[in-house]
Amino acid sequence: MKFLADLHVHSKYSRATAKNLDLENLYLWAQYKGIHIVGTGDFVHPQWFKELEDKLESAENGLFKLKDKFADPLDAQIPESCRADVRFVLTVEISNIYKRHDKVRKVHNLILSPSLQAAGKIQAKLGSIGNISSDGRPILGLDSYDLLDITLDADAKNLFIPAHIWTPWFSALGSMGGFDSMVEAFGDLTKHIFAVETGLSSDPAMNWRLKQLDDFILVSNSDAHSPSKLGREANVFDTDFSYDGIYKALSDKDDKGLVSTLEFFPEEGKYHFDGHRNCQVRWHPKETIKHKGICPACGKPVTVGVANRVEILADRLEGGKSRRWRPYQNIVPLVELIAEVKNTGTAGKAVQEAYMNILAKLGNEFYILLECPIDDIKQAAGLVLAEGVNRMRQGKVEIAAGYDGEFGTIKIFNSGEREHIEQQMSLF
Amino acid sequence: MQRPNDLNESQWQAVCHQGSHLLISAGPGTGKTHALTRRIAQVIPFLKSGEKILAVTFTNKAACQMQDRLTALGVRQSQVFIGTFHGFCLKLLRDYFEHTALPKDFKVATPEDITGFGKETLERISHMKSSQLAIDPDEEYKSYQRYLRQNLWIDFDDILREALLLLEDENIAGLLRRQYRYVFVDEYQDINIVQNVLLKILAREGVLLTAIGDANQSIYGFRGSRVELFHRFKEDFPPSEVLTLRENYRSASSLLAASGQVMGGVELTAKLNTEGKLVMHAAVSDRAEADYVAQQIEKLIGGLDMTTSRRARHSLGDIVVLYRLNAQRHVLGKALEYLGIPYQIAQKPKRADVYSDEDVLGHNEEQVDYNVEKVSLMTLHAAKGLEFPVVFIVGCEDNLFPLDLIGMKSDSPEERRLFYVGMTRAKEHLYLTYARRRQLFGQTLMQNPSPYLSDIAEELKAYEAEKRRATKKDPDAAQMKLF
Repeated sequence: MKFLADLHVHSKYSRATAKNLDLENLYLWAQYKGIHIVGTGDFVHPQWFKELEDKLESAENGLFKLKDKFADPLDAQIPESCRADVRFVLTVEISNIYKRHDKVRKVHNLILSPSLQAAGKIQAKLGSIGNISSDGRPILGLDSYDLLDITLDADAKNLFIPAHIWTPWFSALGSMGGFDSMVEAFGDLTKHIFAVETGLSSDPAMNWRLKQLDDFILVSNSDAHSPSKLGREANVFDTDFSYDGIYKALSDKDDKGLVSTLEFFPEEGKYHFDGHRNCQVRWHPKETIKHKGICPACGKPVTVGVANRVEILADRLEGGKSRRWRPYQNIVPLVELIAEVKNTGTAGKAVQEAYMNILAKLGNEFYILLECPIDDIKQAAGLVLAEGVNRMRQGKVEIAAGYDGEFGTIKIFNSGEREHIEQQMSLF
Repeated sequence: MQRPNDLNESQWQAVCHQGSHLLISAGPGTGKTHALTRRIAQVIPFLKSGEKILAVTFTNKAACQMQDRLTALGVRQSQVFIGTFHGFCLKLLRDYFEHTALPKDFKVATPEDITGFGKETLERISHMKSSQLAIDPDEEYKSYQRYLRQNLWIDFDDILREALLLLEDENIAGLLRRQYRYVFVDEYQDINIVQNVLLKILAREGVLLTAIGDANQSIYGFRGSRVELFHRFKEDFPPSEVLTLRENYRSASSLLAASGQVMGGVELTAKLNTEGKLVMHAAVSDRAEADYVAQQIEKLIGGLDMTTSRRARHSLGDIVVLYRLNAQRHVLGKALEYLGIPYQIAQKPKRADVYSDEDVLGHNEEQVDYNVEKVSLMTLHAAKGLEFPVVFIVGCEDNLFPLDLIGMKSDSPEERRLFYVGMTRAKEHLYLTYARRRQLFGQTLMQNPSPYLSDIAEELKAYEAEKRRATKKDPDAAQMKLF
């Protein structure tokens, strides 16, 4: 069957996450968004692990569901139009900080487990190595290679996915804390990695430019630190609705179970361009080269972003495709579209209310963004939002690229354009 | 013979010295172990058949490290006995058992075996045994010795004393002298009187002793070590030569200058061109001090998440936090945990590590299958012999350095040496921090900076002011606003 999965999220036990990032809110927001399988995140954390044991029960092979006694009271909050089954899959992200070849490496890695036993084994091993209780995404002074070894040792069906592989500071290929190749990072164990995560600041096409990534399938997840950020990116599967289905889709090079991915516009990601946030220097990679990488404001090297890093490591022309390529669709979160229509920020109450209203009328967010007929959106939410969704689907958006930790900003309408569209409407 | 590239002139002299006993006075980072192992390798060709080298280290760990280095230099295991004093003496007691007065099947009692005697009693008796040759036994001492005999035990201190008794038999002493033609002793500044006499018996009739150490790093007085023995070497072992290594290959020159000032006129030459940084920080409280340390560590390793990320030159394993008392540890651990910074608590060498050989306790080291980096937390005593790119010494206050708290007062020159040991662990960054208010043993103490800090020239210091994020949970931060 066809389903959407967001495999990289966190819990309230991770540092800098929302206090309401619990199973109940993941259950709610998965339905608002239209996600069928959502990661639990943080399974190594003892308290979170206990919550998983208490509140989840086994469903389809390797998948879990929120027990009825916890789910039932929540259902009233979910618009009829969005109600759907939600399944959880056991996941955790580890922050590996270590020295290799005299350079400090910081690599984030995502692990998926098929069972509580397998997850428990990883938890026990990592607990014997370091502190796993003060951060849901524990920081361990452990080489990524060793983490992969531990993961495979705990259960052959565990999946190890290098996370947001281009993030400058915390990733396998990042400009600041990473390596130049996956093999450099993972050595002889690289063959046990089947998928890598593109992260918000890169899209699949950028990744296709590296031949060294040809054997990996590209996955996209939200890395959500609050429930509403769920599904910023996601994976569309059409396979057996089970852990094994996902496992096969990622591990078997001939399997077509992963159909496509849903992507941020990479420019909107926090590290697309180069620069210094504090110095307000935002550079296209070409500009960085012109300035030899040095910030004119502070004289220190700028943070090299994803676009630049990809260019450095690329060995295939733009437009080339990898062996395991999948189509993808760039999306803009619906709240951002609504905020754009209202020409305001996303945090306001009016935007949140409008968001829930539209869901109630039309269905979940991914349905609205991807499939809902534009006319229906027009009817339910007005011409401007309909036009916004339309332009998003066609990729007609203007983005001031993100850099050095600052999100990019999306612009769909020019000044005066909203009024113009509305005037057109009044002609009918 | 030409001097090889990996030895400087004074190291080379020490390696090649012939014809008399030798004391190598080797300051921190001067390549002590390097010179010692090279010298051992150098004398190997002079051994006749059946002859061996005796190399005495301070801990079993140090013995293993020396073994590795010697193996790398092509020295065969059969040519050298490497072990601690206790390891060597225990071997003698086993080899010449019939010449001792020990009970048949005697066993070595570890401190954990011994029950029914208070910690203070045991410490007092141990100190007597390690610092006096002739003991005038009191009732407690006698009852303790009876207790050991009843259990067919000897304790760690007895291993040495029984070996000394054994060596009073000239036949056995002569046998050993013909076997061990060269004796090497590491960490000579921490030797006690019993060990000193043992060496005097062994290093006679052509046996040559090489001792190496640094009098400025003698920090085990409370265990019976006597730094005077270091200064008395020439009188104890005539004829002898004393050589000094002054070239430091560890620390940045500014850090070396600062530690030299604290020690009063120690002048070592910095051979590395690393840039040093000596940071002073005064905190309002021990908690604020711990937060400062944790935040600096987060900065040093380049941040822990996207919001704090920056270029990193150091990793977790490059950093150590040193404190005078274990009681200071808790608050530091909490601050590091709050930020999720991995850390480990390193203990000073246990008596079992210093005093045992493998026969006694077997391999009790934990099997670690992955190399895991962490920030180290340890007492200054535990830091002996180690080096780190970044060192924090916390609690640089006048009742901790030198230690002078109720019921705890330590020998003042030794306290200074301990502080010196701490400072000289640092390669690049040294942070000296103190708190104005400290919770210790259930009391709130108002603190003043340690007098050692004022011995350091101002131009070497960089003061970092307190910058704290005010949080609701933190009464100290709220209080800061009042200043």
